[in-house]
Amino acid sequence: MRTKATAIGATLVALAVLCAMFATSASAAPAWKFEGKSLEGTEVVLGGAIESSMTIPGLTTKCEDFLYKLTVENASGTGKGSLTEMPLYNCTTNSKVCSVSTIGAEKLPWASKLTTVETIPYIIIEGVKVSIYYLGSKCVLDETLVTVTGSAGGSIDNTAETATFNASTLSASKTELKALSQKIEWNGLFPTEAFQWHREQALSVS
Amino acid sequence: MAQRTGAERFIAPFAKAASARTFLALAAAGAVLAGCGGGSPSPSSFSGESDTTESTHAVASRRGRTTASTAERPAIGNRDKNEGSGSNSTKGSDSGPDAGPNAAGGKRGAHIVPPKGPVEQAPSPEQVTNATIASMSLQSPAVVASSGSPGRLASTYTCDGHDQWPTLHWGGVPAGTTELILYLMNVQPVNEDLFVDWAVAGLKPSSDEIKAGEMPKGAIVGTNSFGRTGYSICPSGAGEIYMFALYALPRSLSPTRGFDARNLRQEILDVSGNVGLLPAVYERG
Repeated sequence: MRTKATAIGATLVALAVLCAMFATSASAAPAWKFEGKSLEGTEVVLGGAIESSMTIPGLTTKCEDFLYKLTVENASGTGKGSLTEMPLYNCTTNSKVCSVSTIGAEKLPWASKLTTVETIPYIIIEGVKVSIYYLGSKCVLDETLVTVTGSAGGSIDNTAETATFNASTLSASKTELKALSQKIEWNGLFPTEAFQWHREQALSVS
Repeated sequence: MAQRTGAERFIAPFAKAASARTFLALAAAGAVLAGCGGGSPSPSSFSGESDTTESTHAVASRRGRTTASTAERPAIGNRDKNEGSGSNSTKGSDSGPDAGPNAAGGKRGAHIVPPKGPVEQAPSPEQVTNATIASMSLQSPAVVASSGSPGRLASTYTCDGHDQWPTLHWGGVPAGTTELILYLMNVQPVNEDLFVDWAVAGLKPSSDEIKAGEMPKGAIVGTNSFGRTGYSICPSGAGEIYMFALYALPRSLSPTRGFDARNLRQEILDVSGNVGLLPAVYERG
């Protein structure tokens, strides 16, 4: 009798531990929150890069400004998103004989999801594709189309309400952007702010 | 809109129970309490119309939100060049990017000041068709890349060493290619002109490498910008960034030994649809 009771007790303890583990796991999935409350439905996060540069090895190509529009939602408690627009402005190279004839984000929308890397919330942008067409008769990339592809992870600062993308955040999130078969560097600082149903509300991810 | 605002969600249950008149009165009161000064809550796209009248910084500074320290947070458009929102407003309307949130309007909320200048256009189908697409892989064990920076080239491959080309491997040669032509060029111009360090035509489309210091059978070497028929990396200063480029041609150009590398390149660009690119940097000392 005592053995049976012990077995039942052990089973209950094991179940409790399992439940606790799953509960911890579920709560660890980051979600979009406004004023501390989980987002219900969708919201639009819209902003402009405070600073951003993309370094393609050999020929540094920079865009002075760019904007983004991200529709976010929580699906099964986990934050997801869809980058639907990303207009670029004032893109140039570091060579006076090479100009950026055209450049644009392609195959939008790009999917995104929230994750946690060592307790820090991250946003992962997937399926990135940016095509760049260079011109300049004396340019090594004259009439050449270069495509940047891959995924990019940026850390989210809940206090400053910004997302930061750089070599460290890409490495930490095990993401990479490539062009010319090589990793490229992307540095960007973006504000995260809602513009639809939760305007003026504090946006956080946890 | 499928979604409801918080005010609408609050009001809806009352609407079911109350008369239409009561509901309208409650709704009006709710709207006043919520400070709804008009305007739709729906976000606009960047291509919408703009009614920007003030910078984000200006709006953010009077939002009065205490959470997340609005005042400390970087504000979109909070740059010197974007100050003076009147001109930006006009620019935004002309160039397309709205200031999406502004159109969402309202008397409060942050604004995005549209960047100056027109929005960049994505490559057109015509450009893509006519472009030389960097679709082939080109790599070298002598050029070890690092994130965001070209891989470094050892001095043995320059005039400071043996001035011998490194081993190069390639892949992804498109079907229908009849000839491969390999170029090595300075990324930055010399005397405002393209500087070619090496050009080798006549490489077989079935080939997938050129070994260090070994010229494949049938290869045709052109005259480089040093005036020599051969290879040389010899920067005038402390170093240079170089670009190896392997062009795939659907029809042979059949140049002869000592061809003018700079002149042939324009013909290559007119014919070639694909290229493999490998940047490399050489720094003395």
